[in-house]
Amino acid sequence: MEQAKISTSQLFILMILFQLSNSLLIPLAMKAGRDSWLAILIAAAVSIFLFFIYRALYLYYPTLLLTDYTEKLIGKFLGRILAFLYILFFLYSAARVLREFGVMLLSFAFPETPLFVACAMMMLVVIYTVFKGIEVVARTGELLFVIMVMLAFFLFLLIAISGLIDISNLKPAFEDSPKILDTVFTETLYVPFGEIIVFTMIFPYLNQSKKLGKTGIAAISITGASLAFTTILNISVLGVPLIERSLFPLLTTIQSIQVGGFLQRLDVIFILALVIGGFFKVTVYTYCAVIGTASLFDIKEPSKLAYPMGMTVLFLSLIIASNYSEHIEEGLKIFPLYAQLPFQIILPVFLLIIAFLKNRKKG
Amino acid sequence: MNRKWIIPFFMAIYLPLLSGCWSSIELRDLAIVSAYALDKNEDGTYVGTFQLINPMNVPGALQGGQSGQKPSIATYTATGGNPLEVADRASTKVSRDLYFAHTSLLVISEELAKEEGLSSILDAMERGLEFRTTTNIVISRDMKAGDFVQVLTAIDQVPAEKAIKSLEFTEKLYGENIATNLQKFIKAAVSTGKEPLVSGFTVEGDIKKAKTMEQLQSSEGEATIEVNGIGVFKEGKLMNWIEGDRSEGTLWVLDQIQQAPVNIDWKDKKEAISYKVVRQKTNVEAQTKDGKPVISVHIRAEGDLRAIDVPVNVTDPHVLFRIEKALQQKIKDEAEAAIHEAQKTKTDIFGFGEKLHQSDPHSWKKLEPAWQDVYFPALDVDVTVEAFIRRTGMRNNPYLFDLNKKSD
Repeated sequence: MEQAKISTSQLFILMILFQLSNSLLIPLAMKAGRDSWLAILIAAAVSIFLFFIYRALYLYYPTLLLTDYTEKLIGKFLGRILAFLYILFFLYSAARVLREFGVMLLSFAFPETPLFVACAMMMLVVIYTVFKGIEVVARTGELLFVIMVMLAFFLFLLIAISGLIDISNLKPAFEDSPKILDTVFTETLYVPFGEIIVFTMIFPYLNQSKKLGKTGIAAISITGASLAFTTILNISVLGVPLIERSLFPLLTTIQSIQVGGFLQRLDVIFILALVIGGFFKVTVYTYCAVIGTASLFDIKEPSKLAYPMGMTVLFLSLIIASNYSEHIEEGLKIFPLYAQLPFQIILPVFLLIIAFLKNRKKG
Repeated sequence: MNRKWIIPFFMAIYLPLLSGCWSSIELRDLAIVSAYALDKNEDGTYVGTFQLINPMNVPGALQGGQSGQKPSIATYTATGGNPLEVADRASTKVSRDLYFAHTSLLVISEELAKEEGLSSILDAMERGLEFRTTTNIVISRDMKAGDFVQVLTAIDQVPAEKAIKSLEFTEKLYGENIATNLQKFIKAAVSTGKEPLVSGFTVEGDIKKAKTMEQLQSSEGEATIEVNGIGVFKEGKLMNWIEGDRSEGTLWVLDQIQQAPVNIDWKDKKEAISYKVVRQKTNVEAQTKDGKPVISVHIRAEGDLRAIDVPVNVTDPHVLFRIEKALQQKIKDEAEAAIHEAQKTKTDIFGFGEKLHQSDPHSWKKLEPAWQDVYFPALDVDVTVEAFIRRTGMRNNPYLFDLNKKSD
């Protein structure tokens, strides 16, 4: 763990940018069809409970990372294995996001560029940021957050002006309620909301630990609201069948904008959101993997690990799937059930129970 | 490695990459396709005609461009088994790379739309990177789509632009056709409770001469491109055409009218009073009564009087009220005629099914499989119209009214 501090507002911004990231761009909770926005809101609400589990763990060990206190909780041997698994989980997640970023960029903007080049460009920036440490990541966040907010505002204004919104696309609502809950607990809770598990690696850097609860709730609510709003916008502009066939619904929405016969083809907004969002998620994941490895193997300067581990993420992103359909299939069916469910929910709950029992004995 | 060297090293790596010319292409190597026309050959292959903009000859594009002497477009034709193969084959004839991002018009021949439908064509357009889903689709009636894009036009030098503008302006001012883009078409084609509509175009006159510069050398021109009718699609194939009054009625129900003339008869005189709609709103509500679907259409129109060819006293609110009544009847008749026509051909072009799905999803599940063939044709549609005359133009009573007074 490096010597650094971040403020609550920086954590707040990091959490929002991290969660919005690629979820803003890909079809989210589409299994629930027309009611996907509701699934997103429910998932956000449920994830506030998850956040409190992570917060409780942090409050037991306010100066330690997740990968450190596993050792204290379940013993040196098992704890270290678990910490190592968490690091692999973060690395794999970073690679997944990087892959998504690369494919998105290639499939509509740079069809002739090899995937490796697009991913490598992004990874070089990420490596440099990780090398610089968490304070730089947080400050970059503050800067880019302003741009994201402005883009979102501009985009909504244009969509509203061009008269594309057709609210009747949202009707009939609540057609299949069990399906909404099914979507929440098999997909949406894990991506993006459950992913805040990585912040257990960042909480110890916070300078005011008392305000963590409020900050987290605010960040999760705002993320949930923005994602639900974006989904409502997509559905009302495109309709459900078209979203289901789109790889990137927000892009299709942006491409439908035509204001006054000259303000159109604003794909560049999508590219900006894509680059900013992709950058943050990959950076946070990679940073947490690096910092975790450093503390697990007692490496004095974590930044030394930025290059080798960044390269690992880069190559991993290229080999995890042979095509995008396979990648999505893994992301929706296999990864949530076998990796995200245990790492984001089951293990933290289990750790919290042990922490509770251990600390009660002492008290 | 020490930090002093790392930063300059990465800066140096980034330098050649930041210029972003991985797949760069120079403007002079692009052939900008303004319209793409598809026909069907006798042997079942597609014939594609590409209308390319010839930048040297578009007036205003270049100072000293030779406008007025050479056509501002060039067209190339190629054949192939699918729309993309056609485009690939065309590159053997065109010296540049065909660039589709500015293609604003996709023309399909009537024959192709009827026999094969659009389903097999549109996927390539929707999936492709360059082709935009905001591209307008039109159908060329009784003629080859290839001929249509070769006709030169006078005021708008690029014929594709002329076609789109005619479409937009007749939709706006005349209310008898509808501009449909790829996205709207696919959306309606996918839905079971709605069918797509596409405007048709015809060319009146000598098509052969209209392809040469002779077309632009007289004020009249050899041939004119005109909007003509709305094509109704069912299961992706062109079924029939809606024309004239019925197309206006269709647009009334679809809530697509922006401005439209309505002419009514007054005391034995045909089309004596002319009214122009300036604001319109149509609400369609769907319900089920005893398991049977009931649709109510409510049209509300506001507008001005434009011409009065009979002696009526329009300063009298009671007279205006009677005119409003007559207008309401006229609009109602048009809308009902359009609905009956659609019911006869068993195509739900109004999206009544979709409305029913939105208001009553449970009964829709039962009705959906047989909606187009059984329930829609037997549907009870209740049309109510409210029409308001807000102003009477720059005069109150017509001068005919004064003339009549004198003769009395």
